[in-house]
Amino acid sequence: MKKETAFSILEGLKNGSIDFEDYALKRLEIIQKKDPIINAYISLESEEFIRDRIKEIKDDLASGKKMKIPGLIVSIKDNISTNFLPTTAASKILENYVPPYNATVVEKILNEGGIIIGKTNLDEFAMGSTTEFSAYGVTKNPWDITRVPGGSSGGSAASLSYGSADLSLGSDTGGSVRLPASYTATVGLKPTYGTISRYGLIPYANSLEQISPMARSVKDVSLLLDVIKGYDPRDATSLNYEYKEFDEKKFKICVPDEFIEGSENPIKSTIYNLLEKIEGEGIIIEYGAKFDKLNYALSTYYTIAFAEAASNLSRYDGKLYPNYNEGHSYREMSENTRRNNFGFEVKKRILMGIFALSEGFINDYYIAATKGRRLIRDEILKITKDCIIAGSVSPVLPPKIGERINDPLKLYAMDIYTVVANLAGVPALAMPAGFYNNLPIGIQFMAGPFEEKKLLALGSFIEDKTGLYGIIAGD
Amino acid sequence: MIRLKYKIGLEIHTQLTESKTKLFCDCDSDYRKYEPNTNVCPICLGLPGALPVPRRNPLKLALAVADSFNCEIPDYMVFTRKHYFYPDLPKNYQITQYEKAGGIPVCLKGILRFFDPDKLLWKSVTLRRMNIEEDPGKTEYSEGNILLSEFAYLDYNRSGVPLLEIVTEPEIETPKDARKAVEYLLLTMEYIGAINPRLEGSFRVDANVSVEGGERVEVKNIGSTLDLEKALKYEIFRQTKIVEEGGKIKRETRHWDSIRGVTKPLRSKETEEEYLYFPDPDIPAIETKPLLMEAKSKEFLTPDKIMDKILMYGVSQKIAWSLVTVKPSAELFLESVRIGANPKIIARILAVDYKGLMKKSGKNIHDKNNWPKKEVLKELSSLITNKVYTYDEIKYNILPKLLENNENISSLLPERIEPSNLIIAVLNEEKKAVQDLISGKKEALDYLVGQVLKKAKGKALDPKLVRKIIEINIKKT
Repeated sequence: MKKETAFSILEGLKNGSIDFEDYALKRLEIIQKKDPIINAYISLESEEFIRDRIKEIKDDLASGKKMKIPGLIVSIKDNISTNFLPTTAASKILENYVPPYNATVVEKILNEGGIIIGKTNLDEFAMGSTTEFSAYGVTKNPWDITRVPGGSSGGSAASLSYGSADLSLGSDTGGSVRLPASYTATVGLKPTYGTISRYGLIPYANSLEQISPMARSVKDVSLLLDVIKGYDPRDATSLNYEYKEFDEKKFKICVPDEFIEGSENPIKSTIYNLLEKIEGEGIIIEYGAKFDKLNYALSTYYTIAFAEAASNLSRYDGKLYPNYNEGHSYREMSENTRRNNFGFEVKKRILMGIFALSEGFINDYYIAATKGRRLIRDEILKITKDCIIAGSVSPVLPPKIGERINDPLKLYAMDIYTVVANLAGVPALAMPAGFYNNLPIGIQFMAGPFEEKKLLALGSFIEDKTGLYGIIAGD
Repeated sequence: MIRLKYKIGLEIHTQLTESKTKLFCDCDSDYRKYEPNTNVCPICLGLPGALPVPRRNPLKLALAVADSFNCEIPDYMVFTRKHYFYPDLPKNYQITQYEKAGGIPVCLKGILRFFDPDKLLWKSVTLRRMNIEEDPGKTEYSEGNILLSEFAYLDYNRSGVPLLEIVTEPEIETPKDARKAVEYLLLTMEYIGAINPRLEGSFRVDANVSVEGGERVEVKNIGSTLDLEKALKYEIFRQTKIVEEGGKIKRETRHWDSIRGVTKPLRSKETEEEYLYFPDPDIPAIETKPLLMEAKSKEFLTPDKIMDKILMYGVSQKIAWSLVTVKPSAELFLESVRIGANPKIIARILAVDYKGLMKKSGKNIHDKNNWPKKEVLKELSSLITNKVYTYDEIKYNILPKLLENNENISSLLPERIEPSNLIIAVLNEEKKAVQDLISGKKEALDYLVGQVLKKAKGKALDPKLVRKIIEINIKKT
């Protein structure tokens, strides 16, 4: 297996063994070769743009500017605003929309010397777990092109997995970077809510989601996290915070049955094997902890997410964005625009969200869900005070394309283990645990608020032990 | 016509025109001076991913207003989203503070005390609530309305301007009181520095009227306090007539047509409004105490406080109120009295004579720069108290000149002249007027005084003295 991490590339660029231009243009070549099949990207930068960008980075380096990722190739999920590439959220309704501004995280990446190579595919407005609900085609899993890469950040995961980028930004509303990470043998971290600016992230469910770093190793994810983190006055939910320092090499891990027992057998055995392998050397593992509220997690999560989504998506009526359908009145125009340009899944979620907020139903649905959320959050905060929660990322192996999307309940059930971290606002890491029949299997770790460093230290320790990092599919 | 009992409640939407910024971004709160769609940014255009961050200044102003009316101010305020599809609403939801569904407004209960200048007494109405929200943009339809028009022209310069909605209980007793209450509210907000109520479109009023035995009728779209009184009078007349004729008043919403001076029914809605209120997940709850401290609302001189101060100087209530209604004149009064000017003289100059001259010559009385400096006023006052000139000499000879040059009066001071020679000359020239006066026509006296003043060509003459001398001369003849 070929191994390539952002750290190794960065080192090569620094010591001159890798040439900036050769390296970047080679990524474009890889994309031109593989993306017609994988379809990880919605839009791409031109060769000329990349050459100009490298010149800029070299000038900055020459003038002594200190940068964290000079020359690294970054792909960005297409629901994060860029003023130099269209930002569609994989929806037809935002076709050709080029935002007049950059998301805060994009500014940070540019400022630290990153080269943004293109915008990656996702489920329309991040609503999905397979990247099949994109208006710009399905993204395929580079490990098996008959299977999905997970979603909704499937394009980002695939772009890393086939080696077209060193780092990637996804967004995680209910598992949207962790699920694709586990399906592609990459790494995704959903940070503590409020620690990464959402300014410029096209909203799906504001109270749940965070822009999240993805890469082919845990150490690369920490590198990207360090670039994008921080308080942003342009986001009122952004916190003035520091991640907690973590130095000791001691970890207590607990594995509640509910977070693993419902998974397919190969997943269970892979995770149990990995846990067995790392036990000792400062790691204590406790089995059999209880988290009986998991039963309510999916309904709580989807009720809140749909309600917020219905509200967020009301703005797309044709009046402000390039793609619209005409009508004889404002009402007709907005109806035509929404009817013709939203996908089926998006319409379904809007309708359910409106229902959850309607008079006569709001108490039983939306309000009830916010109460349920508080209960789940309290419970998770209690458990993570004492230990890191470990378990599956997904209960199933990467499904075949078309297998899940026609059964919404089965589709939504794929998120059962991941939505909890979003409901609780705590950080969660997904990383490779092993393979079964050449299909990647991930493991998830969840810690208390601001314990990113602890999670990443554990992940880094594990990847050193397993050697499962930097893996590029198909090579 | 019978006289039925009725009750009036008001919903006053005031723009915080002086907040400098919009509610959630740094665009200008005074949008009037811009070309269409040039006072906008990703936030007030509601572009996907742009986030509303409440600005401190509008929140502080709103809290200062709430505090001035003794509101119960909750520890936190929570913004909610109110959804409806409309072209001028960029996100198709408005960020407001609905008190149900988890929202918490800036004020829950307060008292609006307002002055009735006709009866010279204070009245009050209970405030039910105040909430802050964003103003939508503006739409113009090619065919006049949303249903028929093929085109709509949208201007989002106003989008996101902070609005403070103030809701009273339905306990106002007359249309005139409704008008006075709103005028007092706006005056208070002007003193706080929250609004310039003279800017076009800076406030709108919705009024509801319930006549005894009928249901509540709401009248929307009232754009001035004068129209408010007219609309209410019309509505009470209309409803009373229906009751008189044995009809029933049904619950409805009507529209004030200020050109025709009538209220018209709005097309009744087929379904109940469904606004899908819920707390805005982009805006965490906002603590009110620190903002309130920063607003320093207790230090504001609101109209009632400034009125008390003026009254302490022995000025009559009527004159004091007249000063209070024009903020620069009230402030100038206090400033010049503080440096030693005579309160009664200054009050008369500011509230009556100079104000009258300004209005006559079309000067804006609300612009502080159009008023004389406090030092000038003090000088005028001492000229009168030291008996260098009489009040009327100042009034006729100097005040008109101050309109042109209000910086310095030493150059304006008229030369004193002895009136006797002028009077004799005029009496000799104006034989007919003198005859008229002798035969008892009082107007002739005014004419003669006027002629003498004219002859004085701007030199200081006390018209009262002139009048007296003429009268004595006529009696002699």
